[in-house]
Amino acid sequence: MTARLTLHAVTYHYPASPAPALTNVSLEVPSGAVTALIGNVGAGASTLLLVAGDLAPRVMGGELTGSVERAGRAALLLPTPWTQVSGMAFTVHDEVAFGPANLGWPRERISASVERALTRVDVAHLRDRDPATLSGGELQRVIFAGILAMEPEVLLLDEPTAELDPLAARRVWELIRSLAAGGMAVIVATNDIDALPDVADRVVWLESGTIRAQGPAAQVLVDRGLAADDAPGSTAVAAVWRAAGLGEPPPLTVSQAVERLR
Amino acid sequence: MRALHPFTLLAVAVALPALAWILPAPTGGAVTLAVAALLLLVPGASPGLRVARTALLTAAPFWFFLYLLHGISGMVPTGLRLSTMIASFVWLVAILPPSRLVEAMVAAGWPVSAAFLFSATLQAVPALRERAQRLVEAQRCRGLATRGGPLVRLAALRALALPLVLSALHEVDERALALETRGLVAGARRTPLAPPQDHVSERLLRWSLVAGCLALAVWRIA
Repeated sequence: MTARLTLHAVTYHYPASPAPALTNVSLEVPSGAVTALIGNVGAGASTLLLVAGDLAPRVMGGELTGSVERAGRAALLLPTPWTQVSGMAFTVHDEVAFGPANLGWPRERISASVERALTRVDVAHLRDRDPATLSGGELQRVIFAGILAMEPEVLLLDEPTAELDPLAARRVWELIRSLAAGGMAVIVATNDIDALPDVADRVVWLESGTIRAQGPAAQVLVDRGLAADDAPGSTAVAAVWRAAGLGEPPPLTVSQAVERLR
Repeated sequence: MRALHPFTLLAVAVALPALAWILPAPTGGAVTLAVAALLLLVPGASPGLRVARTALLTAAPFWFFLYLLHGISGMVPTGLRLSTMIASFVWLVAILPPSRLVEAMVAAGWPVSAAFLFSATLQAVPALRERAQRLVEAQRCRGLATRGGPLVRLAALRALALPLVLSALHEVDERALALETRGLVAGARRTPLAPPQDHVSERLLRWSLVAGCLALAVWRIA
């Protein structure tokens, strides 16, 4: 797997902020893998996505030291769907086509890419609806389709399941897994720790803008430090296992727990 | 009529009010208003009686206040001109979907930012109305009285306006990031998704309208 994104000793300050939002962050994101960012609010996960997507400091302002190397186009999905609506589309189809049209692609390529994205995110049945009439969950999936239609090499997702019901969230996690299987480099910031054992290849634990731990998901998610009061926590299964005093390391999923108990 | 190029519809909707003010009153205003009314009412061209009623209801208060201020003699010329403006605008809004106009702007090579400003402004109105409604409901839950006399309503408006403006400003950063990541950058050459056909005859009509308005304005000034 080749590195799609490399951050080396990155420190970033938001404008007019004396304290850095990221401090000395080094990270390598390979293609064909899902890298999950976890941490409490303010840990720097969203900021790291902005830096990875070339939005900070280029658009946000501020000051960055260290180096960021990108191989391919990156696209970012933000957590709030309403602020991501283009404002130039009056149907879901045109909303999804917004990004590819801005890239100046020929209409035939746009059409094919939009159809693929609508189908992948399972919103093809909404194609003629006005985006303003969609629910938050539907709109979030439409925006996700709009990001995929741009065919990015690096996919940056900030809380992609925040607006979704459990079933829709599960489908999005499956989609993320399949996108990585197709060769895309995916970085996802999420608080849905329970989903990570099945989705993430690597986990990066951020704390106050620095990397506290990073490595394979199965290794980082069993770190005892994650269970501390001021930490983001591990999976629910791991928490129950530890509460029952069943020994270290804890299983992370129900199926792993069942396997251990047999 | 709906199949005409958006710029042609726009040219007609701009030319009628322009002519209403250029041509001598009250005949000029009467003629242009008659044409605008025809556009609203003629079968095939008409967006419907409901739209004509909207234009009528919008124009009525102007006639009333003009009568109070200027009497019958002052009311008629200005009332005809204002009514032409209102009827033309209502007709344009009813007959031209914003998406077609945006596509025409993009296809004509206008900067993406100009098309975005136009389109996003139109889409912001219902979005802000919906948010204002949510804010009103939230304020009511917290005990704010929003019904009653003018003073009560004024106090409620103040309690609504501040969070409405602040929340809109709060979103600006995130919105800028979202547009940037979706390729809406200065200088981008956007592909029009469904560019409307622009026939030579329509281009000729548009330029004729511009030239006609200019010639009549010169004639009136001279």
